[in-house]
Amino acid sequence: MKAEYKIPFILSWKHLLRSNKWTLSLIIFFMSIAFINMIFVPSLFNGIVDGFNKQIITTTTGNILITPRDGKDFISDSSETINRIESTDGVTAASAQMLVPGTLKFDGKKGSWSIYAINPDQEKKVTTVSEKIIDGEYLDPSDETGILLGNDITSTETTNEGDNPFSLKGASVGDTVAVIFGNTEYEFTIRGIFKTKFNTADQRGFITQEALKKMNPGYVDEATSISVTINLEGDEENVMQSLKDRGVRENIYSWQQASSLMSSVSDSFLSINVILSIFGVLIAAITVFIVIYIDISSRRQEIGILRAIGIRPYLIRAMYIILSAVYSVAGVLLGTVLFFAIIVPYFNAHPFVLPIADAKLLVNPGDFIARLETLIWVAIAAGLVPAVTITRTKLLDAIWGSK
Amino acid sequence: MQQQETIIQVNKIFKTYRLGEVHVPALKNVSLTIHKGDFLIITGRNGSGKSTLLRQLGLLDKPDSGEILLKNKDVTKMPERERASIRLKRLGYIFQEYALIAELSAVENVMLPAMMLESSASCRKRAIEVLKKVGLEYKIKNLPRQLSGGEQQKVAIARALINHPEVIFADEPTANLDSIAAKDVLKVFKRLNEHDQSTIVMITHEEEETAYGHRIIKLADGSLV
Ligand SMILES: Nc1ncnc2c1ncn2[C@@H]1O[C@H](COP(=O)(O)OP(=O)(O)OP(=O)(O)O)[C@@H](O)[C@H]1O
Ligand SMILES: [Mg+2]
Repeated sequence: MKAEYKIPFILSWKHLLRSNKWTLSLIIFFMSIAFINMIFVPSLFNGIVDGFNKQIITTTTGNILITPRDGKDFISDSSETINRIESTDGVTAASAQMLVPGTLKFDGKKGSWSIYAINPDQEKKVTTVSEKIIDGEYLDPSDETGILLGNDITSTETTNEGDNPFSLKGASVGDTVAVIFGNTEYEFTIRGIFKTKFNTADQRGFITQEALKKMNPGYVDEATSISVTINLEGDEENVMQSLKDRGVRENIYSWQQASSLMSSVSDSFLSINVILSIFGVLIAAITVFIVIYIDISSRRQEIGILRAIGIRPYLIRAMYIILSAVYSVAGVLLGTVLFFAIIVPYFNAHPFVLPIADAKLLVNPGDFIARLETLIWVAIAAGLVPAVTITRTKLLDAIWGSK
Repeated sequence: MQQQETIIQVNKIFKTYRLGEVHVPALKNVSLTIHKGDFLIITGRNGSGKSTLLRQLGLLDKPDSGEILLKNKDVTKMPERERASIRLKRLGYIFQEYALIAELSAVENVMLPAMMLESSASCRKRAIEVLKKVGLEYKIKNLPRQLSGGEQQKVAIARALINHPEVIFADEPTANLDSIAAKDVLKVFKRLNEHDQSTIVMITHEEEETAYGHRIIKLADGSLV
C-alpha cells in the first residue's frame, strides 16, 4: 500500500507533538470552555424544570393523582382504595386528602384557603411537607384540634404575587385560628408552619381526619384525591395501567396531567435553550475557525511547498480535519471532566436558589451526546474552511505569499 | 557532435504579472532547449526574470502564451492535477530559502514526496540513501532548526532527488549560505551531474558559480541575451 494516506496523520501528529505546549493547551482549553458553554445552559434549564417538577411531585400531587370518578364528588371507602393502590406493583405509598372548603379567621383577618384533612402518617410517606416545617411541629394523627398551615397563609412578607389580602398575617405556632365550616366556627391551634417554596403547596392548610370526623360526624372514609408515589421515576404510565388493572376505577392522572402548569414553563425554557445553544455552537465554530485560520496563515508557505512538491491538496485538507478533530475531541474530553468533576458537584453543593424551587445541574444524556457531536462536526467544518481556501489559492501566492 | 536527448523544449513563452493596473512583463519570447545530462546555469540581474522562467519550467506557474514541451508533451495546457503529478514524479525543485517542513525531521522531509508513491518502509530506506548521497546520513533525525543553512539546503536537495526526477531545478540555492557552505552544496550538484547524469537547471547571481555549469544563458529584461 502507498503511504499516501499516512501523510495527513504524520503531518498532524508531528504538528501536535512539536507545537508549543502552551498554545496547544490553550486551544484545547478554549474548546473545552466552548463545550461547557454548550452543555451548561441546557443542564441548568433541565435542572430548573426538574426542580419544579420534583416540587410538584413531592409537595402536592405525588407521581400519580387519583380523583373521584366522573359524576362523583368523593372517592368513597378511600382506605380500601389505598390498600388496593399500595398493593399494586411499582407503588411506594398513597395518601388520601379530603378538601374542606372553609374560611380561616385570625385576629380579625379572614381568608379562604384550602384545608385538607389527611392521615398525617400516610401523608408523610407521600409528600415532603412533614420535612419542611419551619416552626412548631408536624401533626399527630390523633390530634383533633391542631392545624398545620402553609407559610403563604401566615407570612407577613409580601409574596411575589403581591400582598395577599387574605393572609392571616402574623399568626404563629400556638395561636388559635378559627375554621369556619358551614355556619359553624371551629377553633384550632396552630401546631406548625411549613414552607416548601412551591406556592400551591404553601397555600394549603392540613388537619387530621380525626379532627374532620369531630367537625362532621357524617364524614366516613371519603377523599377528594389520593396522591401516589412510585418506586421508579418516569414509570408513571406503567403504574397507571397497573392501577387500572388492579381495579382502581377512579380517575387516574399522572402528575404532568394533574398540573398542566409546568409544560408551558418547559416550553418557554425550550426556546431560550435553543437560542443559547446556537450561540454555544457559534462560539465553538468561531474558536476553531480562528485557531485553524491562524495556524494556516502562519504556514502558508509550508502548505505551498507541500503542494509544489506534489502532495495532493486533499491530503493537506485531511491534515487540518484531523487537527480540528483532535482539538475538539480533546476539548470535549477536558470539558466533560471539568463539568462533571467541578461544576456539577459545585452546584450540587450550592444549588441555585429560585423562588419556587432549588435547581441543580441535570444532564440529559441524549442532549449531551447531541451537543458533543455537534461541537466536533462544527469544529471540523470550521477548520476545513481556511484549509480549503489555502489549497485553492494560486500556487505562487501560496509559496511567495502575495495576498 | 554527440546526439543529445531533448528533455525540455521551450517555445516562445511570454509571462506578464498583473497587479491591478500595473503590468510587469517578466518573460518576453523566451525559447530554449534542455538536454539530458545538462547542467544549465541561468544568470541575469535582479528582476531580469530568472525565477519567473524557472517557475514555468518547474510547473509552478503557467506562461501566458507559448509552449513548454516535456519529452514532447506540452505541459502548459494540462490540468493542475496532472501538473502536480509531474512535479511529484518527474521534477525536483529547490528553493532559495530551503523550504523544509519545520516539524518534520530531515529524513521525514525527504520521505514525503516518496510517500505519495510507495510504502513507508521503502520510502524511509531510500530517503536515508539519498541523504547519504548528499552527505547528511549522520543527521537524519534532526529537525530543520537543528541543522545549519547548508545542511538544510542539502536536505532540500535530497527531497528533490527522492523520486528520481528527470530534471532538477534550483533557484539560487546558495544565496543564503556562507561561501564554504555554498561550495559544499554546489559540489553536491556537480557530483549528481557527473556521476548520476542528472539534468540540472540552476539560477545563480555569483559569477564564480557559473563555472559549475556546462552551459550558461543570460536573461535581461525578460529576454535571453
Ligand atoms: N508574483 C509576482 N507578482 C508580480 N510581479 C512579480 C512577481 N514575481 C516577480 N515579479 C516581477 O517580475 C519581474 C521578474 O522577476 P523575477 O523574480 O523573475 O526576477 P529574478 O531575475 O529572479 O530576480 P532576482 O535576481 O531578484 O531573484 C520583476 O520585475 C518582479 O518584480
Ligand atoms: Mg529570483
